[in-house]
Amino acid sequence: MLGLLLLASILAAGCTRTIIDEYRESGRALPLGRSEQVVVLGRRHDGEYETEPELIQCIARRLDDRLPVVPEQTFIDRVYPWFEPRTAPLGLRRLQKMLDDPDVGRRLHETGIRYMIWVDGNTETTDRGGSMSCAIGPGGGGCFGFTTWEKTASYEAVIWDLGEVREGGRVKVDAKGSSYVIGVLAPIPIIARVQNSACEGLGNQLREFFAARRS
Amino acid sequence: MFRIRPRRSFRILLALAALLAGCATHVEVAGDFPTPVTRRLPVSATLVLEPAFRAYLLEVSEPNPVSLALGDSQADLFRTVAGAMFRELQVSDQVPDPAATDLILVPRVAEVQIATPTETQLQIFEVWISYRVQLLDKSGEVIAEWPLAAYGKTPSRMLESAGDAFNQASIMALRDAGAAMITGFTRTPGVSDWLSRRGAWSPAEPAAP
Repeated sequence: MLGLLLLASILAAGCTRTIIDEYRESGRALPLGRSEQVVVLGRRHDGEYETEPELIQCIARRLDDRLPVVPEQTFIDRVYPWFEPRTAPLGLRRLQKMLDDPDVGRRLHETGIRYMIWVDGNTETTDRGGSMSCAIGPGGGGCFGFTTWEKTASYEAVIWDLGEVREGGRVKVDAKGSSYVIGVLAPIPIIARVQNSACEGLGNQLREFFAARRS
Repeated sequence: MFRIRPRRSFRILLALAALLAGCATHVEVAGDFPTPVTRRLPVSATLVLEPAFRAYLLEVSEPNPVSLALGDSQADLFRTVAGAMFRELQVSDQVPDPAATDLILVPRVAEVQIATPTETQLQIFEVWISYRVQLLDKSGEVIAEWPLAAYGKTPSRMLESAGDAFNQASIMALRDAGAAMITGFTRTPGVSDWLSRRGAWSPAEPAAP
């Protein structure tokens, strides 16, 4: 009984807690024309972290069944070098300048992108504890001990409307989860999928901003 | 008495060699560079890719041995970017004398540095490249010595090798060098005056947004 309770408490702790906040410019769904598309982009200008490309791909996949989404790298390559970490617009004024430029503006219009979703943040290990030792010998091997770590994901997504050059809304997600590895001969991992929970939270919330288009 | 048979000792040595080789990282930097979106300047140029530039190899021994072969990729980048910047581009492996073009660009690597997550405690692999691009006119007179600094990083991922991470960070650094070339060329002291004198560019007309 005690063993079951212990296992249940460990499994529960292995879960991820996610908090989502959203801000909308208006109550209306964001309109999307027949030939218009969406791109999800990661912020990469900070020197100490990088918004993970796999998170951006995960969010894009979540939106893709409802909206036409252009892959991040395809878009960045088409407008090279204007969306590199050094040159990407950090505000709408800079975006307007790019749209006004005869070469860059024309190329941006050619991509058919109506909305840019900028995602900024990262997932990091915030705490670590315990220890485990593994050994192997002629008679066999095994691991003994207990190790744990906590991961925190914090991301903010901002929607830019290129049609009206204004912000369409923003979503903030904070997710936290503890993972464990218990070593009783074989190591038993209980992994909290923190980044995946953040992707799920952001993706589901962002979908609600847009009028459904794909059937 | 414990004796190691020759065949067994050979296997042990082989396993040890494999383990030691696993600590060293060699990367042949490879990637594609898209054609930049930029306004062509109405001047012709020769891009000089010297053998030392095309064969550039960074070798680091501490804390772990790493070698980055950047030469081919950086030559590709400079060809692609310079090809989009000028009305006409010729490529040579030495400074032409006399030159058949208005401008000559000679890029040289000044310094390359790398950093791993274990060194910086950040969850990223980093690459810095510092170039010095010598700009000469048709007669071989120096117009400018253009310092070009580039930086690339990539997040460390579980189960990804250091080699893949360094390749990705190097490609990001090279793309950044391309961005710096496009956005910084007409702002380089000496270049803007030279272009203005030829009527190829006016300071009132920004070359980049």
